[in-house]
Amino acid sequence: MSLPELSLQIIYARLAWGLVAASMLLSVLPALLPKLFPALAQRTKLIVAVTVALVMVLPGAASPAYWLTLVFQYPSGLLTGYSLVALCARWNEKPVDFLLHPAFALLLTVLGVVLYLDAFGVLALGLYYHGFDADASAVLAVTAALAGVAAIWLRFGAGGAALLTGVLLFSLLRLPTGNLWDALLDPLLWAWALASLIAAACRYYIASKAGSQVQHTVAPDAEPELAQTRAGGME
Amino acid sequence: MGVLRPLIQRPGKLAVFACIAVVATVALAEGVRWSRSAPHHAKPEAVQTVAPPPVTLTEVSRAIIPMPKGVPSAHASALAQLPHGDLISFWWAGSRESGPDVQVYASRWSKGRWSDNWVVASRDSLGAALGHGVRRIGNPVAWTGADGTVHLYVVATGLGGWAASRVVQLQSTDEGATFKVRRVLPMSPVFNTSVLVRSSPVELAGGGWWLPVYFEIGHKYPMLVSFDAHGDPQRLTRIGARTRSLQPTLVPVSNTEVRAWMRDATKDNSVVQQAVSHDGGFTWEDMGPTTIRNLGTSLAVLRLDSGNLLMLRNDGTNPETARSTLTLSQSTDGQTWQEVTDIVSGQPGDEFSYPAMYQLGDELHITYTYQRRAIAHHRMKIHLAKDLP
Repeated sequence: MSLPELSLQIIYARLAWGLVAASMLLSVLPALLPKLFPALAQRTKLIVAVTVALVMVLPGAASPAYWLTLVFQYPSGLLTGYSLVALCARWNEKPVDFLLHPAFALLLTVLGVVLYLDAFGVLALGLYYHGFDADASAVLAVTAALAGVAAIWLRFGAGGAALLTGVLLFSLLRLPTGNLWDALLDPLLWAWALASLIAAACRYYIASKAGSQVQHTVAPDAEPELAQTRAGGME
Repeated sequence: MGVLRPLIQRPGKLAVFACIAVVATVALAEGVRWSRSAPHHAKPEAVQTVAPPPVTLTEVSRAIIPMPKGVPSAHASALAQLPHGDLISFWWAGSRESGPDVQVYASRWSKGRWSDNWVVASRDSLGAALGHGVRRIGNPVAWTGADGTVHLYVVATGLGGWAASRVVQLQSTDEGATFKVRRVLPMSPVFNTSVLVRSSPVELAGGGWWLPVYFEIGHKYPMLVSFDAHGDPQRLTRIGARTRSLQPTLVPVSNTEVRAWMRDATKDNSVVQQAVSHDGGFTWEDMGPTTIRNLGTSLAVLRLDSGNLLMLRNDGTNPETARSTLTLSQSTDGQTWQEVTDIVSGQPGDEFSYPAMYQLGDELHITYTYQRRAIAHHRMKIHLAKDLP
């Protein structure tokens, strides 16, 4: 086992929970804050970032990180990475999707189900314990880094960048706990992945249902409509 | 929160360079760490395998360890030896179990008497050192390393009851006078919760030790954490696959075989549960349950220097008497147990529970919870068969 120093974990908790909080607030406040305070509309991002940073570095029990860590311990490196990526996107006003990509969501959900069933004693695989092994974690960390690069190459920039952030935090500093599983997954991220998966399934179901209805109702007219579109020069 | 949509274009040169740099950094860091890591195969100290003759025990003294004044509740004592031959006892005390004022106290056994107690950990002191809150304080367990450092493990909960427990590792270099928090031991991927300590550690060859721990929410199962001589955790292992066993107490019975005896969490016909390792603690398998009664209460097993095994446990037959008697048994092989004596026997509803044992020279020291109000201490002389007339 190679575990991080406690002082490093305390700093990580403040930073990571700050990133998670800031990215969540920035997904809500840019729409809400200008309605409440029109004069602040141009400075929402700055206000949120500065406020979160100031609040998180408050000493002891005055910091929300003190209580969040009491309940949840540390966010995984991957969740921290996702928060960082989302924060950058919000900051640069790039388009953002609240949900995880279905492929990532499925992978994290399945991984979490097995890991947590094992942790709760339903299975007896000892998966979590292997997250401390120097051999296993070395192979898995390099594999995860390569997977992150592949994700970026395949145009899943958010997932790839978040994964690389989490793996870097683990490999360089052994954050958050020294266990590779804690770097890649935590129950909050797992819940987010599960919700994303359910939402994606619902979207797919609704789209396929709507598609079949459209196909059923407009099928006889499909040819003329296509002809009209082509005629309009929109192909 | 939210995430970027997939990029429309392939990553640029800068992104490719950054990706290569990250992978190279990860590979280098992991390679360096891997090359420096040494496999941890420490096993318990070699033990005598010839079946020893039974021992006899005679009581030398009994006492109540000085309790903090005005504190009505005390529970879960632990014993460890100090570098110069004294003993140190730890326990928690406060207004009630799980109360916010519960603290871990210590007292030192020196020259035949217990010192006044002192506080070694509270939820405020742990919270300040850990940088995050602690709701409740629970069982302490202690071990003294070969270098004289006293290592203390304390249950500290997050949000919730004992199911939200974590284990905080502390250490003292001044014989238990003051303790410094080292870390929360990471033992579960679910917010690192529901892992507790109760039983005494076991010495390993090379100066390390095993810390018995257990998972408690829903299914209950035992584990052990292996530490090196510096108190750094090296390995985490589950003991068996049963889901109704907790509070393991570990004892090597031969040079390769280690036994674990455990409290039973089943409600009906509960008996002491057991597991065995045939490879010095690397892998474990469940054994069939013993025939020894255990109505959901902690037990202690100790291997004496002579090789005899002692088991101290409650011998109740119903909920009223579940914890009213503490019975000492001995075994030479870990299979068959012979009752030696009742260390304490009370009326239905009395509580004498959560025993701890430690051998110091030719004396056996026993501490246990006395009516949930105090910690009692018995000192017994160990007589080997060859010493008897």
